[in-house]
Amino acid sequence: MIDSPSLRVEHVSKRFGEFTAVDDLSFEVRPGRVFGFLGPNGAGKTTTIRMIVGITAPDSGTVELFGQHMSAEMQDRIGYLPEERGLYKKMKIVDQLRYFAALKNVSGAEADKRIDFWLDRMKLSEWKSKKTTDLSKGMQQKIQFISTVLHDPDLLILDEPFSGLDPVNVEFMIEVLAEFKTKEKTIMFSTHQMETAERLCNDILLINKSKKVIGGSLREVKESYGTNLIALRMTGGESVLDDKSIVTKAIVHADEIEVHLTDGADPQLLLRRLVEGGSTISKFEEIEPSLNDIFIEKVSG
Amino acid sequence: MTYSLKRFLGRSKESKEMRKFLAVVKHEYKKIVLKWAFLIGTLLLPLIASLFAVVPAIIFSLKGEPTRIAIVDASGRIAPRIERNLTAEKITAKAEKSARDSMSNVSLTQQDQIKRGSEQMGSFFVFSNFDPIGLSLEDIRGDLMGKISQGVLDGYLIVPENYGSADAIFEFRSRKAGDFVSGGSFRDAVNDAVRSQRLADAKISEETLRELSQNVNFDEKGLDEKGAERDSDGVMAASFVIGLMIYITLAIYGQAIMAAVVEEKETRIAEILFSSARPFTLMLGKLVGVGLAGLTQLGIWIGSVLVILAVITSQTGIAELLPKMPVITPLMVVCFFVFFIIGYFIYASIFALIGSMVTTVQEGGQFAFPPIMLMLIGFYFSFVVIRDPNSSLSFWVSIAPFLAPITMPVRILAEMPPFWQIALSVLVNGAAIVGLVWLAARVYRTGMLMYGKRATIPEVWKWIRAS
Repeated sequence: MIDSPSLRVEHVSKRFGEFTAVDDLSFEVRPGRVFGFLGPNGAGKTTTIRMIVGITAPDSGTVELFGQHMSAEMQDRIGYLPEERGLYKKMKIVDQLRYFAALKNVSGAEADKRIDFWLDRMKLSEWKSKKTTDLSKGMQQKIQFISTVLHDPDLLILDEPFSGLDPVNVEFMIEVLAEFKTKEKTIMFSTHQMETAERLCNDILLINKSKKVIGGSLREVKESYGTNLIALRMTGGESVLDDKSIVTKAIVHADEIEVHLTDGADPQLLLRRLVEGGSTISKFEEIEPSLNDIFIEKVSG
Repeated sequence: MTYSLKRFLGRSKESKEMRKFLAVVKHEYKKIVLKWAFLIGTLLLPLIASLFAVVPAIIFSLKGEPTRIAIVDASGRIAPRIERNLTAEKITAKAEKSARDSMSNVSLTQQDQIKRGSEQMGSFFVFSNFDPIGLSLEDIRGDLMGKISQGVLDGYLIVPENYGSADAIFEFRSRKAGDFVSGGSFRDAVNDAVRSQRLADAKISEETLRELSQNVNFDEKGLDEKGAERDSDGVMAASFVIGLMIYITLAIYGQAIMAAVVEEKETRIAEILFSSARPFTLMLGKLVGVGLAGLTQLGIWIGSVLVILAVITSQTGIAELLPKMPVITPLMVVCFFVFFIIGYFIYASIFALIGSMVTTVQEGGQFAFPPIMLMLIGFYFSFVVIRDPNSSLSFWVSIAPFLAPITMPVRILAEMPPFWQIALSVLVNGAAIVGLVWLAARVYRTGMLMYGKRATIPEVWKWIRAS
């Protein structure tokens, strides 16, 4: 059953007056995998997430969670960390966490147990009875994360979870997320940081201007882009690179050459030609484009 | 709203949404009641109220410096009478009388109260002799002026020879012309003295005069619809206090709602809340939670007033001095709370609506003016109701939405209206609540997620129309 998606978004659209924020968007998110929701500012990420967590309803299309139509009851199974997040300023940390847990239908005793557990894990136990204003920004962010997971949600939706965290805490959060992943929970997060996405995500979806641009597993996405860039270090036989039927562009860097192949050209053919042309090759590597490259190409193109 | 209410109640059977609703209620209640501000406010308001009652009396009881006056009286008949009228005992007796009058009468205009209050101050006078024999009027004036400028005298009075005639002029010059207290007392004393002398001249004795000019013993009591006697002074005082108390509580808790809404919008907590529970549940929970906090405070106030009154009446003999308290039946108390709750929901939903439109508490403060104004109008109309609870104006203002929550309790205390009028008022205002909560819920749902700028009226109108 691992393959049945826990979240299915089908042909979802949302308009605000004349402006279409999300246009006919479809995708699936599977349990036990990390789903990266990527896109530039204003692409419609937050609007999409708000429809998934039930804050707003789509104008058309459906959101299905665990095989059921999205409803208020389903909200208790989602943990949502909004990008614009906040805490009550003059309230004790423990009281806020209790309140957020109660709003997700966690009983008082169970909530207290989990609050202690998570505060201890985040090394924030001594701040339990302090007020928000006494905490640093990073601490507040960890408290906000705790409020997202107190009800042990099956689907975790995190909007820009790493922004503003120091590197130590980023590593820590990644560790926590990995734990959720092994528990067959579904994790979806949006980010601008392509390096993080590349490291964490099994699947990605890139949207731009309210529309889906590219989606699928990270592997597939990269492979569909991957084979036309080659890093080359060699001596002799440079004239082969002038053959426009194979190479569109050869950029000479300090100690290697970045070769752009023509569409559909076989890298092995280039390698054979070079050898035949008398080159001494010390490096020949097919380069996968980074997610960052794909992002920039797709969004600016 | 019928739709969302039905959905809300329908789900509450499953008790999930209900539990969330109760969590919101508890959260909002605790947030207010477990604060120092609540404790201080609860204790402070009665203290401030009693200060308002006591401080003017204390200030007015402080005696001013004596006024030194020279009386030039060629006839020698008027001056002794004036002096007799202004002895310390006479002034005190007069002050006491006016104090009694003002205590039992709250409907006096402010001007009257100030005047009476100042009479209580008991200004007193010192008289110096001045022998005018052989001096012309000009010389006398010059001499007295000199004394005044030296500071040994504050003023002088020249009694004309023809004091009995209508066009006689009593010349009073005083350095303390602004001291209307002494001025007033002194004028009264001169008038009394001259009148007495005129009577004596007409061969009417003081004795006869006192008997003739005695005030009647005017026994004033209101009647309720059954013809039973009630003390009208006590009713007025109590009605005024009730009106004021409801007005203050509504204003405080309405703004508490607004602050709570703005905080959740400002800190973006709304986004987390909306992903956990329905906006309608959240808003209603907030209204009920803050409302219960208000009821708690009102209960403490009313309870402590009753206890204090009971203690005072049992421990001391002051009971008779206090205006007799009106009879408050349990039915009345129920009515007060019903109308307080109605008023609370009307104004709280307006404040919640404003809170979800604006971006900061300060901005909300500017927009709080219209509902505060409405409340004030209700409070002012309660004076109309106190004066004549049975007039048709009193009827209309105690039925009208927005005004009734303040005017109806006042009217009930002043005189119990027919039951159908209370029912009509509850109905009209209940309908207003349904409409306002419906409106507020729609604005709340959209407004809470709009960051950065204040919503304009056309925008809000669009939110209301969008289902």
